[in-house]
Amino acid sequence: MMSCKEVAEKANAMVDGEVSAWEAMQLKVHLAMCKGCGRFVDQIRTTDELTAAAALDDMMSEADDGRINAILAELNQARHQGG
Amino acid sequence: MRTDFPDEGQLVASLVAGDRKAFEMLYRRLNAPMVRMCMGLIRNRATAEEVVQDTWVAVLRSIGGFEGRSSLSGWIFAILVNKARTRAQRDGRTISFDGDGDDDSLSAAFDGRGRWKNMPDLWDEMTAERIIAGRSVMEHVNAAIDALPAAQRSVLILRSQQGMEATEVARVLEISEGNVRVLLHRARLAVRKALDALA
Repeated sequence: MMSCKEVAEKANAMVDGEVSAWEAMQLKVHLAMCKGCGRFVDQIRTTDELTAAAALDDMMSEADDGRINAILAELNQARHQGG
Repeated sequence: MRTDFPDEGQLVASLVAGDRKAFEMLYRRLNAPMVRMCMGLIRNRATAEEVVQDTWVAVLRSIGGFEGRSSLSGWIFAILVNKARTRAQRDGRTISFDGDGDDDSLSAAFDGRGRWKNMPDLWDEMTAERIIAGRSVMEHVNAAIDALPAAQRSVLILRSQQGMEATEVARVLEISEGNVRVLLHRARLAVRKALDALA
């Protein structure tokens, strides 16, 4: 049977759906019996969800007319200079 | 959650036509992660913001040549990486995505037989409600991402936040897919560790 260490090493690949059918079965057997690894896999899944959510949080706080204007002005200038 | 664009062809056409609203939408989606990633490469906020601004100008100048061989965000992040490399070179530095951080935060978590020394905690408080109740968890996640070495940070932003496939991340950063997986593994473990301190 896989050790907890091996399960932890595979947890990311598992969350990403990147394990083979054989590994998936071994993981399932281990996780059915081991509370610690079950928690760890849940933590990895939550970590991924919160990481994705953090990007959304970033997006909502960002609305910068000044910078957008600066980019468009620089673009116009570059077009005039460089064609 | 993932920032794919539902109608990328339409968006690109609008950008080519000089549609400001389309650019604003794209900017709001990508500017913050671009700055966050660039900060990892450049280590100076003002310079990183400058590089990102240059990137936007380059994106708008060359959008007519975008052929859709990668996703739009993959194309933009690749331009960002190039601009950051050029800037670093000018400042006498090089940017490398190889081998940063050999260790991960789990190395001491197991006994000699590969069993947990201390059982992982149940994260029952780490839920959507808590996130809505206060921004502290998100701020914590962002601080943890900002503390990552450049390569791990870049992979996490592109893979977990921008939703790119490992192949595309590998292309943007010019590293192997295997390396992308290793870096993602380490990055997630580091963020997990930071969150575990809150749980």
